[in-house]
Amino acid sequence: MSEHHITPLRTYLIIAATLLFLSGVTVWVSYVDLGALNIVVAMLVATLKASLVAFFFMHLLWDDKKNLTMFLMSLMFFGIFVTITLLDTEFRGDLGLNPETKDPINKRAAFYDTLPLTDTHGHPVDEHSDDHHEDKDHH
Amino acid sequence: MSENTKQNYLNHPKGIMSWLMTLDHKRIGLMYLFSGILFFFLGGLIALVMRFELAAPGNDIISNDVYNNAYTLHGAIMIFLFIIPAIPGALGNILLPLMVGAKDVAFPRLNLASFYIYSFGALFAMYTIINGGVDTGWTFYTPYSTQSTSNVVPMTLGIFIIGFSSILTGLNFIATIHKMRIPGLTWYKLPLFVWALYGTSLVQITATPVLAITMVLLMLERFLGIGIFDPALGGDPVLYQHFFWFYSHPAVYIMILPAFGIISEIIPVHSRKKIWGYKFIAYSTLSIAFIGFLVWGHHMFTSGQSVFSQIVFSFITYFVGIPTGVKIFSWILTMYKGQVSFTPPMMYALSFLFLFTIGGLTGIFLGAVALDIHLHDTYFVVAHFHYVMQGGTIVAFLGGLHHWWPKSFGVMYNQTVANIAALGVFIGFNGTFFPQFLLGLRGMPRRYATYDEQFVELHSYSTFWSGILGISIFIAVMNLFWSFIKKNKVDPGSNPWGGMTLEWTHTSSPPHPHNFEEDPVLQHGPYDYDKVIVEKTYKK
Ligand code: HEM
Ligand SMILES: [Cu+2]
Repeated sequence: MSEHHITPLRTYLIIAATLLFLSGVTVWVSYVDLGALNIVVAMLVATLKASLVAFFFMHLLWDDKKNLTMFLMSLMFFGIFVTITLLDTEFRGDLGLNPETKDPINKRAAFYDTLPLTDTHGHPVDEHSDDHHEDKDHH
Repeated sequence: MSENTKQNYLNHPKGIMSWLMTLDHKRIGLMYLFSGILFFFLGGLIALVMRFELAAPGNDIISNDVYNNAYTLHGAIMIFLFIIPAIPGALGNILLPLMVGAKDVAFPRLNLASFYIYSFGALFAMYTIINGGVDTGWTFYTPYSTQSTSNVVPMTLGIFIIGFSSILTGLNFIATIHKMRIPGLTWYKLPLFVWALYGTSLVQITATPVLAITMVLLMLERFLGIGIFDPALGGDPVLYQHFFWFYSHPAVYIMILPAFGIISEIIPVHSRKKIWGYKFIAYSTLSIAFIGFLVWGHHMFTSGQSVFSQIVFSFITYFVGIPTGVKIFSWILTMYKGQVSFTPPMMYALSFLFLFTIGGLTGIFLGAVALDIHLHDTYFVVAHFHYVMQGGTIVAFLGGLHHWWPKSFGVMYNQTVANIAALGVFIGFNGTFFPQFLLGLRGMPRRYATYDEQFVELHSYSTFWSGILGISIFIAVMNLFWSFIKKNKVDPGSNPWGGMTLEWTHTSSPPHPHNFEEDPVLQHGPYDYDKVIVEKTYKK
């Protein structure tokens, strides 16, 4: 084992400040409409923050490289899981064999029948309506 | 050996508290072993009830509802309470430190905590039974599992808790393998069982968190109405299956890798031959663990998954066959021209080779998407996974128990009875499950309490042989326990099979509370049967 690394206080403070700043970014970005990218940005910022904590506060950066490998492996497996799962959702209903599975599921969700459709800001959107049912007049 | 009643971990220290609060890996392993066998019998009893219900069409013994509960509990108990925790927990715990020459695992307290977490989770699962059961199947598929009024919550909570035990054990084993080996015991000198535990542990710590998340998401949807899986709330039911199988396919390797490890120990010892292709076996363990993460979609071919994903998953599934085949051929080549002896452990190892090969190959059939569309959710799948889990894992587990029994307890069982029971398991198993392949091919769906007239013959065969199988397993286990009563003690220095790994060469039977009376010094590799020293030093 290599000797213990002593981290200067300054590094800790810089990292803490960065974390606070990134928290701010998370809040700020939630007000900006990036469409589907919103979730991606939020996750990236969160991953970055978690990594900073692991690398500096938990000393992963100066630790045995095996531990770093483990950390990167967990990120890799998470990446595999999300990528392949989303690939499935993206291609659902390809070849047109099951047309009913083709549309994104949440557009047709009953949940959205009872609430007026809104965009991410909560503004109502006009219903391009063919997948809405007769019972719409109840509202 | 001056004192006749030598100290060993079984008799020292004494008292019930010294067991309940023990930090000794061997005692913890024993506690896992007994609870595991208890659940094995409970799950087995439920299985026999189901089989007798299926002896004839119609609801003869139990109603449809009870049947639904029975197969759910059978699956959940066998998988989550027996196979996954108990095999690494029992044999892994008892053997790992002995095999690497350590006094204990890296974190003994954490090890005890794992056991109690497991017990705590098991309480929830048992509560489910008293409280009227759960009827979703062990997979808890949505949307039914978010709607069923049966005990989905206590059962999933129990599984959630047991998952943490699994993660902590995995962590402990990895740390032990990295840090606790004696000097000179390099990676390529490790017994292959240790490699197998290493692969298992990696899968445990990387996959199990996903199971925990899945169970949490299920509860979030049930209790808070957050739309994750329910389309009515904007969720996606197929997403549940992605989550579940992202854990549960790797989990089948948590079940089978330790079994591979056991077989890699039994075969060279009972063939008196150096293992063939040590590095092939070691690395195929790691590659199975890795590829296992890329194939989960083969459980979802009929779920409405995209065709694109089906093709990708089907294609990658075939690759699992490569490292698996490498192992099978290595074991066969190890026996080739060896002095194979038909001892009880070897009987189980040979059964394993035969049964696991059938199970693995039918897995490849099912991995072919075009075929699986027809076979999915039929008895063909039921037969496949029993061939790998019972014919593979449980048979290897029984073999391992017979192999290390004299080491762990210092007593020898009746070997003739053990051999007869092993034969009974082999025949009873094939009699029970082979007809199920045929049933599946003819269209008998799984998870039904009754069936069409045309299936009577095969079903009644299956039921008949399941009785033989049950009796044989019972005899095998009772024969082991009988050796305690019979007190057929082996000499503390004995090495009945002539093993060359540290647990055989440097510890007494049963081992000292601190494992090694003096620091062990490595003199040779784990399977150096080609060297003369064996004959001189270890053969009795
Ligand atoms: C040799 C490589 C293997 C391959 C290619 C394979 C492939 C498959 C496939 C494609 C299925 C899905 C069948 C369907 O539902 O239509 C399946 C089911 C299953 N396999 Fe395997 N398998 C393999 C080994 C194993 C092993 C080693 C185990 C456990 C020790 C296992 C346990 C299971 C279980 C439990 C199921 C059924 C799950 C359920 O739906 O309840 N398999 N296997
Ligand atoms: Cu699978």
